[in-house]
Amino acid sequence: MLKNYFKIAIAVLKRRKFFTFISLFGIAFTLTILIVLTAFLDHLISPQYPDTKRARSLYINTATRTHSGKGFQSNGPLSYHFLNKYVSSMKTPERVGIGSIFITTNTYINNKKLEIDMKYTNADFWEVQEFEFLEGRPYTAQEITNGDHVVVISEQTRRDYFGETTAVGKYFETDNVKYRVCGVVKDVPITLIFSYANVYLPYTLSKTGRNDTRFEGMYTAIILARSKADLPAIQDEYQQTIARIPLKGEEFNELHSYADTYLASFTRILLGKDDSSGVGKFVLSIGLFALFFMLLPTLNLININISRIMERSSEIGVRKAFGASSKTLVYQFIIENIILTLIGGLLGLALSAIVILVLNSSQLIPHMYLAINFTVLAWAFIVCLVFGFFSGVYPAWRMSKLQVVTALKAQ
Amino acid sequence: MFTHLFKLIWNKKKQNFMLMLEILVSFLVIFAVFTMLVYYYKNYRKPMNFEYDQVWSIGFKMQDRPQSNDSLYVFFEALKNQVKSMPEVEQLSFSGHNIPFSMSTSQNSLDYEGRHVRSIHDYTVSDDHAKVLKLSLVSGRWFSKEDDASRYQPIVISEFLKDKLFGTGEAVGQVLDKESDHPRRIVGVVKDIKDHGDYQAIESAMFRRADTNALRWMEQALIRVKPGTGVAFEGRLYKALASHLTNATIEIEHLTNKRQAKNSMTLVPIIIMMVVAGFLVINVALGLFGVLWYNINRRKAEIGLRRAIGAPAGSISRQLVSEAMVLATLALIVGCFFAVQFPLLNVFDLPASVYIYAIVLAVLFVYLLVIICSLYPGKQAAAIYPAVALHED
Repeated sequence: MLKNYFKIAIAVLKRRKFFTFISLFGIAFTLTILIVLTAFLDHLISPQYPDTKRARSLYINTATRTHSGKGFQSNGPLSYHFLNKYVSSMKTPERVGIGSIFITTNTYINNKKLEIDMKYTNADFWEVQEFEFLEGRPYTAQEITNGDHVVVISEQTRRDYFGETTAVGKYFETDNVKYRVCGVVKDVPITLIFSYANVYLPYTLSKTGRNDTRFEGMYTAIILARSKADLPAIQDEYQQTIARIPLKGEEFNELHSYADTYLASFTRILLGKDDSSGVGKFVLSIGLFALFFMLLPTLNLININISRIMERSSEIGVRKAFGASSKTLVYQFIIENIILTLIGGLLGLALSAIVILVLNSSQLIPHMYLAINFTVLAWAFIVCLVFGFFSGVYPAWRMSKLQVVTALKAQ
Repeated sequence: MFTHLFKLIWNKKKQNFMLMLEILVSFLVIFAVFTMLVYYYKNYRKPMNFEYDQVWSIGFKMQDRPQSNDSLYVFFEALKNQVKSMPEVEQLSFSGHNIPFSMSTSQNSLDYEGRHVRSIHDYTVSDDHAKVLKLSLVSGRWFSKEDDASRYQPIVISEFLKDKLFGTGEAVGQVLDKESDHPRRIVGVVKDIKDHGDYQAIESAMFRRADTNALRWMEQALIRVKPGTGVAFEGRLYKALASHLTNATIEIEHLTNKRQAKNSMTLVPIIIMMVVAGFLVINVALGLFGVLWYNINRRKAEIGLRRAIGAPAGSISRQLVSEAMVLATLALIVGCFFAVQFPLLNVFDLPASVYIYAIVLAVLFVYLLVIICSLYPGKQAAAIYPAVALHED
């Protein structure tokens, strides 16, 4: 049966080339945009090099400090002191990686200016993140406590600063300080803000906030759980820890901070309110955007489908006259339409592969590589089905209402 | 004529409903795009009113600073003199985080005789700031050493803020925030600057004089260098700064680059939106064209009959184009009803004129689209021979 529908669908497609072109163009283009956007979202959300253990990681981005009486409110990253004292000492996590937000500085070599984004980290940062070392190794906890001037640099920085050679053991200078390079890692795009930097340094070398016992600072924490099942326990423990922190002598009397999964750590900043992390709102708004974006192409397809279906009124009339029920006809037409959308979907997939190739080679965001993976494909397929179904239902319903006599008379 | 066309469309309201819905939704999309374009274009047309070409910013993140006010003052004076002693440097000023084209902003409010103005960009800067950025004064003067003894904190406000606070009245000499612990006195008015990029809207701004206390947290300096100063000097400057500010992380940036980065933050979303909207429009245009063409093919008999009883070819194609126009008009009336709500309800805090321009442009655009899409089918219809058309039935 399906084979028959498929044959009919192909035959109809061949009949009016111009209409076929319009339909396929609309479908393919719409899907291209959605696939590229999904690929970008997928790049942002799902585990990426070097943050590959995202499934069993929790992230502490910021803390909100409020004083209800004075109307004081401040929100920002935390100090190393805070994270080390309260988060690293928690029982449930396996490890806690602490890294600063990146700080930009310059270095000058051979009359060339380099912009360097530095990140200060602890030793566990290298355990929590799975960096690929092109040469050398990360700095150790011992080196950090000693205050050794050692750094890990990115591949890009090695190329810019040392040229096409090895860098381990050589010296790298910025802010008038010399550092010995102990490792070189593969580049990370700036979209992964917990992992991105050009130069990684031990936190003991940080020029600011070393002996600071205040809460606010420039650090974020990545908590690695032993297994995914431990995540709720860690979140509970963090909330209990937060509740126990004495706030005497501070300028605020309430402290709120959350250990969130990767996506939630961002949606909380953008859309979160009180205790809700904002993931639901995020998914809802993405869904609404996709629906609204698809509205126009769908309407367009409906209009074209109505025109095309009326063209086939004689065929419909004959089938009705021989006893085909409206249901069968509607069913057939929807299947045909889904076949059409899937063909358009394949075209869209090819188009988006080209767009992604161009985006990747243009390096609009350095070191960011989008890819069409299984998740993206699955979403594209679902979108195709929905698209095909909705643009087929109304024309099919209109068609099934056709009187046999009028349908037969039309031609 | 119109009633007749309207009747023709009404008779086929079921078939035309979807077409009208499509035109309506396209109108709303085009309206949104035009609103954005008109808004940014209007902003773009306004002058920047400061010069950034030869200005570099120096960021120095440091926490361990001299403790007492005196030594803090001496430390910063020494830094300033050291940098200014370099022949390539013309001027230097210290500033808060919100230097031109930076991502950070700082806002404050002011009170004047019961009037409370919010969201004023608040710049804490030292005396030479106006010289570094070449700000142009409208009236009064920039603050300077002579304000040291003043009872009030001297501030300079922008023209836009002056209009908000005093209208056409005189601003220089007025005292603001009288009730608070820090009353401020206006010493000058400057032209509005667009320091958040070419596409920002003009907003209220106030510059206040940095006191010694501000030196505890200021982390930015701006310098104006001589034309033609290159990266070799930048390297030397960096070394000099790093030896003076031993405990700081230093970053030198050029305002021209910062401007580009800031502008592209506005432009990239616009370009993406325009590409998407452009394809949607092509999509809709093709669809409209196809449907109109198909409808005309179905009405061959009717058109043939009109031709047979003497209607000229021009009149036939005019009828079909006008039919499409009436259809579009019906959709646009509904569309305008929605679009007008934006200025009426003041949804996005944009001036009403932006919406009105956008509505007019979007209406014209949709009409143009419909005319282009119906011209060819109309011409085709006019070319129908009555004999052939009537023979078919």
